[in-house]
Amino acid sequence: MLALLFSPLALAQGAGPSVEMAPAGITPVMRGKPGSVELDFRVKQGFHINSNHPNSPYLIPTILKLDPPTDIAVGAVDYPAGRNLSFAFAPDEKLNVYSGDFAVRVTVHPLHTVIPGKYNVRGQLRYQACDDRACYPPRNLPLHFEVQVKKAAARAHTRHSRQSPHIHN
Amino acid sequence: MSDSMHEQLKQSEGQVPPEDTQSAETAPPAYGPHARRNAAVIIIVVVAVAAMLIGGQYLVHRGERSGAVTAGGPKPGATAPDFALQSLNGNTVHLADFRGKAVLLNFWATWCEPCKLEMPWFVELEKQYGPQGLQVVGVAMDDSGKDTVAKFAKDMGVNYPVLLGKESVGDEYGGLEYLPTSFYIDRDGKVVARVFGLRSRSDIEDWVKEALSHGSNAAGN
Repeated sequence: MLALLFSPLALAQGAGPSVEMAPAGITPVMRGKPGSVELDFRVKQGFHINSNHPNSPYLIPTILKLDPPTDIAVGAVDYPAGRNLSFAFAPDEKLNVYSGDFAVRVTVHPLHTVIPGKYNVRGQLRYQACDDRACYPPRNLPLHFEVQVKKAAARAHTRHSRQSPHIHN
Repeated sequence: MSDSMHEQLKQSEGQVPPEDTQSAETAPPAYGPHARRNAAVIIIVVVAVAAMLIGGQYLVHRGERSGAVTAGGPKPGATAPDFALQSLNGNTVHLADFRGKAVLLNFWATWCEPCKLEMPWFVELEKQYGPQGLQVVGVAMDDSGKDTVAKFAKDMGVNYPVLLGKESVGDEYGGLEYLPTSFYIDRDGKVVARVFGLRSRSDIEDWVKEALSHGSNAAGN
């Protein structure tokens, strides 16, 4: 009951910007081979965040930091290109930003020695948001996704075209 | 919370008020006047909670639009908290050092684009109203270091003191959920206005005039 009674205050305090990540599901990857995981994010309406390559060295880029388990290497992180937009507070400048939905691709590479199974990769998305008249201190969005490491398929036997069908290798 | 609401909550949480204390043998059945009263109490509580939830969402909506409702810090009429912060030239500066002047205390950061728009206005206002007793003070809430802040301030042509902010000072000024945040402080050190987010130059000038006109040493007092 008290939680309900205090919820207006909690709601009022939670009026700031936010970035959410859609549930990532479980991505299958082959042991010893690189795989790609797409992480989908949504910036709350009315806000924007700097892209990974903002147009000013003073601006704080959006960066994904991952802490993978042992034997799962994280390779390239591909950020989408931001949109060059002008805002009322800087009409003569173009800021390179993400707004609405955007996706980040992560390459994961399970080592060939890893035991097949499900692995949880944790991390955080660091971003700094603004609306059309104020900016908000940098925040970190905790996140995680799962990969299902599978054994690479056994190599299929090849048969010489001229080999008799009755002879088995 | 009102007494009646508190009473209703106690009842809804299963605490029996004295007048309802009865033995198990004489307890009323689950229908009749007592049941109707309990139902009424539940309805009142539900309506009250719903009203508070709706009220909260209204506050959120209002806060998002105005940018001025949900943030805290010293309110108008309160004494602005004193602080000791390092300036870009290495001196320790206290807010109290400016007592007798009207202070425009502006919290900003190098990563805050709206903050950049205000800075040339502050430079002009400092020139225009400085002789009347205005002192603009910038506090950079940056993690990027003194050199970065100094270069940024120089590039922006800032002609007023810039101090290196601390989280503890930010907390005393309401946590600084938004930047820019400015406090207009009169000559006696009392807050005249607190403003969250970017405002127009004319609004800012009006608050400067108000700060200059308040306090025991104000012109005309």
